[in-house]
This record gives sequence, C-alpha cells and structure tokens, in this order.
Amino acid sequence: MGKNISTDLIRGHTDTIVLNVLRHGDSYGYEIYKKIVRLSGNQYQLKEATLYTAFRRLEKEGSVESYWGDETQGGRRKYYRITEAGLRHYEQNKADWNFAKDILDKLIEGGIENEE
Amino acid sequence: MRNNQLDRRVRSYVDDLFAGVGESQQLYELKEELSTNLKEKIGDYKKEGRTEDEAFKEAAASIGDLSGLVDDMRNIGEDKVKQSVYSSMTNRISTAGLIIGVLLALFGALVTLMLYFMELPPVSTAGPAIFIVIGCILITYSSLTRETTKKFAMNKIRAMLYTAAAGLILFGFYTAVTSGFATGEMFIAVSSMMVFLLAGVGLWLGLVLTGRSRLKGQ
Repeated sequence: MGKNISTDLIRGHTDTIVLNVLRHGDSYGYEIYKKIVRLSGNQYQLKEATLYTAFRRLEKEGSVESYWGDETQGGRRKYYRITEAGLRHYEQNKADWNFAKDILDKLIEGGIENEE
Repeated sequence: MRNNQLDRRVRSYVDDLFAGVGESQQLYELKEELSTNLKEKIGDYKKEGRTEDEAFKEAAASIGDLSGLVDDMRNIGEDKVKQSVYSSMTNRISTAGLIIGVLLALFGALVTLMLYFMELPPVSTAGPAIFIVIGCILITYSSLTRETTKKFAMNKIRAMLYTAAAGLILFGFYTAVTSGFATGEMFIAVSSMMVFLLAGVGLWLGLVLTGRSRLKGQ
C-alpha cells in the first residue's frame, strides 16, 4: 500500500479529476471509477463514496448533467455529461493547479539563501 | 437463479447503508445507481477468479465512507414540506376525481332505475348507463394516481393506460346492453361487445404482466 498517493493530497482535486474524465465523453459511475484508477497507473485507490459525493456536488453547481441509460440487464446506469460551465470550471481549476504547483515546489523544496 | 440471489444481496446491502433515511426520489435513484455499479464491480472481480462471496465483500469494502451522502439524503428525506406540497396537490386532484366519479356513477344508476320504473322501452332505459361507465373510469384513474400510506402513486402514463383498459371493458358491456336491446338480437350484443372487451383485456393483461410493485418499504 506504500506506493499509493495520499488521499489528503488529492482531496481538493477530485472534482477536477472527474471533470477531466467526462471531458472525453459521457460515462457512468463504475466506468469513471475504472478510468480514474487507470489514469493514476493504479496508484490511487479511489473510494466510490468520494466519487458519488463529487457527482452530487458537480451536479448541484451545474458542472455536470445526468441521465439514465436504457440497459435492461443488471439495472440502469446513471450517466454523467459535462456542461459548458463544467468545461470552463475545469480549465480554471487546471490553471489554478499549474500556478499552485510551482509555488508548492518552491515552498517545499526551496532553500533560503541568506542562511547558507 | 444465482444472479437473482446476488441482486438481492446487493440490494439489501445498499438498503442497510441508508437504513432509517426518509424516502425520497433522490434516495431511490442513488440506491439504484450504487447497486448497478456495485454489481458491475462484483462481476469484474469474479472474472478475475474470485468467488462470489469474496467479490461481494471486496466490492462492498471499497465503497468507503458514505456518511456525507447519508446525511445529505437524510436532509432531503426530512424535508417534508417540499414533499407534502407535491403529494397534497396530486392527492387533492385525485380526491376531486373520486368524488365526481362516484357521483356520476350514482347518477347514471339512479336515472337508469328511474327510467326502468317509468316502463319506457329498454333501449332508452339503458342509455343513461353511460354515466356509470364514465364515473367508473374517473374512479379508476383517481384511485391509481393517489398516494396512500402503503403505496406510491402510479405514474400518470401507466395510470392512463390502466384507465383506458378499464374504460374499454366497461364500454364493451355498455355497448352489448344497448345494442342488444336496440336490435333484440343476442348475437349483435355479443359481437359489438367483443371488440372493446378484447382490446381492454389485452391492454390490461399487458400492464399487469409488466408491472412493478408500488408497495412502500421495498
């Protein structure tokens, strides 16, 4: 289990990750789950609870829409589709992340020159 | 057989996750979404060579902490104000339908009785019986779309189809009586009834066989 990414680090980014998956096409819970695990190279043990909470939050804020599939066997699937607002939201989050990434790098790895 | 057993196990597991949470459309849908995904995950685990029992336990464990969602659903379930506005509105419409239906049916029955005692020819006696038919149709629709403490209301389209079936059957009998009296021939009565009765019974059987339980607490 040592090589899984810490859930504390990833927590604030679940919504962006889900939006990234949906950017490539409509999908439903378990498929989104599998895609996220695959994207992480099997190094993120995502919990479904996190995912469903994200779906509800994203739907409430208008970033995704949902609709039921018409499967007859094994129960209906609830599909999610990214909206225009969701795409904008995703781009914004991505820009925020790229900005934060550099600063965090400096904060965590940088040395302070005066005190050498 | 085995699939059914797994279905039931998943269903009752998901029900337990939300035990004691008030019913709502959103909860019903979330449970369906969870069950479908859980079943697919179990299916994948089984393909990897695990037994059904192992697959079930592993899939169930991987769901994680649902307490946030449970609270969310509990709030929705407790929001009785929103729910009661909706149900009281539809129930009021169905109450009005029931009253009008019963009155119409009674009116039809009494007028028919009155004409019968006036010793008019049977053809004119049977005429007002059409009110009984219309009344019964209203009663059928209104009682199906009514939410009671034990059952959810039937959805409108399905209720409409049931009503059409009942209407066709009743109208079949009505045509039989009137056309029978008008011509005095039994075979005409039977043949004119047949069309409506067959269509009605066919529709009704189709509905019964595709139906889902509306019982609450399932």
